[in-house]
Amino acid sequence: MKIGVFICHCGHNIKHTVDVETLAEYFRKYPHVAVSDDYPFLCSEPGQNMITDSIEQHGLDRVIVASCAPSLHGELFKDLLRKKGVNPFLLRRVSIREHCSWVGDDVEENTEKAKRLILSGLYGSAHYVPLEEKQVEVNKSALILGGGVSGLSAALFLSNMGMQVYLVEQAAELGGRVRELKSVWPSRKAGADIIAGMENELRGRDNAAVFTSSKLSNFEGFFGNYQATVATPDGEERFAVGGVVVAIGFEPFDPQIKPELFYGRDPRIVTTLDLERSGDGLKLPDNPRVAVLHCVGSRDEQIGRPYCSRICCINALRAAEAVKERFDGSYVESFYMDMRAHPRGGEEFFEDTQEKGVLFTRGNIAEIVPEPQGIVVRGEDTLFGEVFEREFDLVVLSIGMSAPATGKEVANLLKISLDKDNFFLEAHIKLRPFDTAVKGIFIAGSCSGPKDVEESINHGRASALKLYGFLNLGYAFVDPFISVVDPKRCSGCRVCEQACVARAIKFDEEKHIAHVEEAACMGCGLCNATCPSSAISLRGYVDTVIADEISGLLEAM
Amino acid sequence: MEEKIEKNPEIVGFACSYCTFKASEMAGSLRMKYPEGVKLIQVPCSSRVDPAFVIKAILEGADGVFVAGCHPGDCHFIKGNFFTRRKIAALKEMLDAFGMKDRLRLFWVSAAEARRFIEKVTGMYNEIKEKKNGG
Amino acid sequence: MVGKKVTNGQIESALNTFLAAGDCLVLGFEKDGTAMRHRVFKNTLENMSVTNHIFALNGGIYLRRLFSKGAKIILLLRPCEIRSYVELVKLSQIEAENIIAVSVDCSGTISSKADDVPVDGGYDVLSQDPGRARFACANCRERRGVVGDAGIRRDVNGQYWVLPYTEKGGTFLALIEGPEEEVSAHMAVPAAGKGAVFQVDMAEFAKDFSRCIMCMNCRDMCPVCYCVDCVFNGDDYLPKGDALFNKIFRTGSTEMPRGRDLFHLIRMYHVSQTCVGCGACEEACPQGIPLTKYFKGVSERLQGMFAYMSGRSPEEPLPFVTFLEDELKDAAD
Repeated sequence: MKIGVFICHCGHNIKHTVDVETLAEYFRKYPHVAVSDDYPFLCSEPGQNMITDSIEQHGLDRVIVASCAPSLHGELFKDLLRKKGVNPFLLRRVSIREHCSWVGDDVEENTEKAKRLILSGLYGSAHYVPLEEKQVEVNKSALILGGGVSGLSAALFLSNMGMQVYLVEQAAELGGRVRELKSVWPSRKAGADIIAGMENELRGRDNAAVFTSSKLSNFEGFFGNYQATVATPDGEERFAVGGVVVAIGFEPFDPQIKPELFYGRDPRIVTTLDLERSGDGLKLPDNPRVAVLHCVGSRDEQIGRPYCSRICCINALRAAEAVKERFDGSYVESFYMDMRAHPRGGEEFFEDTQEKGVLFTRGNIAEIVPEPQGIVVRGEDTLFGEVFEREFDLVVLSIGMSAPATGKEVANLLKISLDKDNFFLEAHIKLRPFDTAVKGIFIAGSCSGPKDVEESINHGRASALKLYGFLNLGYAFVDPFISVVDPKRCSGCRVCEQACVARAIKFDEEKHIAHVEEAACMGCGLCNATCPSSAISLRGYVDTVIADEISGLLEAM
Repeated sequence: MEEKIEKNPEIVGFACSYCTFKASEMAGSLRMKYPEGVKLIQVPCSSRVDPAFVIKAILEGADGVFVAGCHPGDCHFIKGNFFTRRKIAALKEMLDAFGMKDRLRLFWVSAAEARRFIEKVTGMYNEIKEKKNGG
Repeated sequence: MVGKKVTNGQIESALNTFLAAGDCLVLGFEKDGTAMRHRVFKNTLENMSVTNHIFALNGGIYLRRLFSKGAKIILLLRPCEIRSYVELVKLSQIEAENIIAVSVDCSGTISSKADDVPVDGGYDVLSQDPGRARFACANCRERRGVVGDAGIRRDVNGQYWVLPYTEKGGTFLALIEGPEEEVSAHMAVPAAGKGAVFQVDMAEFAKDFSRCIMCMNCRDMCPVCYCVDCVFNGDDYLPKGDALFNKIFRTGSTEMPRGRDLFHLIRMYHVSQTCVGCGACEEACPQGIPLTKYFKGVSERLQGMFAYMSGRSPEEPLPFVTFLEDELKDAAD
């Protein structure tokens, strides 16, 4: 065995709290360690060259890369081994950044911890064996959940690229929330027109099937070969798909959750969405006094919505502008915490609205009291530190976005995760914002967190592109981390078979031993932990690897 | 006078790749701090944790061991953590018979719960440290 | 419940009828004047004894990997032995199809290692001198012949009964001459009460196991340690090199022989759901380690968590291969 240990400084990220030189020096003395070195950025080209050169020069058959978390740069380092003809599963990543340098401040303690973590990797990798990445055929087809702008743009992109697309929408018509918008800022186009354009294009395609008033009822299989069952008004439809884009959108915040707003109990209190739907029908005096409240259902920890919904400042501005345009002599006052008109042109829109005569007051609203003659709004002006009380004819609540109502259900069906606010959780907030933890399942649009129309469209296209990249060759490589039975050790007790959630273990009656259906194995390792003699083991995570990792972590030095 | 040396515990944690290990990565990215004594072993699912590993870690000198997975019902492998719950609960009961119940913990930490991860491991570390130093 | 009153002679003649059919075997006890032992009878019964008050090993061990190849077998064994048989059936180590398992009321047993154990006397030896019972028997959870396909039970008047529990048990009952009648008598062996919850500390464990020489006889004689290749065969699981000395550096000492504590604790966990508490391990231990206390104690606690009792019924799934979604709410910390 010839092991190479490579320790990354990550610029200062690791180096400033871990003594990387000491680490490199320390591992040089270990038996079988042929080379141990540190480098400022292993992921840079010279860093990569250092690893490939060392593999060649020393004939390495184990490569330990101690750097960032293993979920980052995974393929990059594997490729270095592949390039040099070394099996990529002889690579061991050790996280000394997310799990060491960033979570502790003491250099001495951190260096000690990093030493143990690397040692653990060193011991564990000693039991690694070359594994073969299995090539599986994948279905060049996609399931799109949700027919809003995001889902539609994903479907359009994929069908453009020649892939079979199944679009499933729970409502009776496509378009989601955008369809209800009279004028979509900043283009000022009607939402229904935007949707009609997309819908007509999609419906004209022969590789796109659209199911409305339908929902996903069952989902199984594995990457590239998922089986989806969809309940449609005409009965159940089943189809095989290679991947999924989830774009089920959001739920507008329901202000009735905050009873102090009197929403639903007084017709003079409306939401921005109500204004879109039926604003023209509102009975208002000639020169109405209108209050616009920002951040309703956003940035509010007490009701479990601590996040900024990102769309409501612009919506509030649009509401104020609409009133001002309709009633020249109206008095419009907007109460905000911070003005977050973040999209391009938003700041200018804010200024325009001010110029049109809309007043902006930074303030906390303490109380809303509907009186027969008007609605009394009391609060505190946080810029001047003064308490105010004003009377209005109309109060507009600029409501935020809540997580989709069916989020939990969809998450359970697809086995993907939700974040703390019940939006879908991405695989990595910066580096993999479209992926979920499940291969081939992507999230798009506001179901992964509040987004405006433009962002949702882009998000949908981006997720579709990522999925296309996974499926377009018609085959893909899957992780070889599946269970395997040692026939000489298997007692045929069938406990693994009974425990296996994926039903991947079959019993060979004749030989009286278990065997694994490789394509069905999910690689969880439950069978391995259930078998008392470990006759069935999970490749890559066999008993000896984990047992020696434990020893490495606990080694007295 | 003899100076009292604080003994720092060693804690080995088995963390599911899909949730707790992700949460720990996020905790790192957010520069949250937790004691150096807490070290993780990544497993594909908490159900991969053979109770034998826990026993081995304790016998090799770990002051504490935790097994951490997705919240029940949220397992990436659909039902794996229900099995984990049975096995680890049983192992706790066994350790309890030997007066070692506090050495093993079972945590549910989702990928989004970096703060919960920090709270759980720090809490465990502090309790064990106090005990170790005769508290 | 309907059963039949029987005498020893009737049981023997019933079994002889069974054996005469050919391709049939009986696993039971043999008493040959100086010793009692298990024996597989073919063709005829010779020196057969329905009961055995001396415990050397659990007959379940003979049943491991018993794939009968068409032969019909009647087991006439103690309740603990039938319970291990039931567990092994669940673990697919036995094909139960052609086996009729009959559990016989047990009044407890004396260790085969004890001095001056009378071969004769059966039930009465221990009723006269209960202090001679093995630890396992004195703390037994199920001495009644109520497990398996049928039971042979003794009522308070000394009358034996055959009671069928399954369809196969009915076949056994049919072998016996005489009329079926409603069983109303009180049985001599009562249901066991609940014992104390097992609790020790590591100091006591270390003291008790300090004599262990890692011969692994306890494992080899355990009826439910069914693995064809134990994880402790070979070197893989035993600490060596650095791992061996680790604990010494860390905590000041380590157990010897190496891996001793690891072996016993892991085995304890492995058999925790299947252990029938027969004490065969203790009987097999050349060092006289009180293994039953630990294995039985731990297994009763762990089985209790899931309202499970090993060998009670072939229908009960092993706790570690199943779960309920709504359970163990306080398991997580």
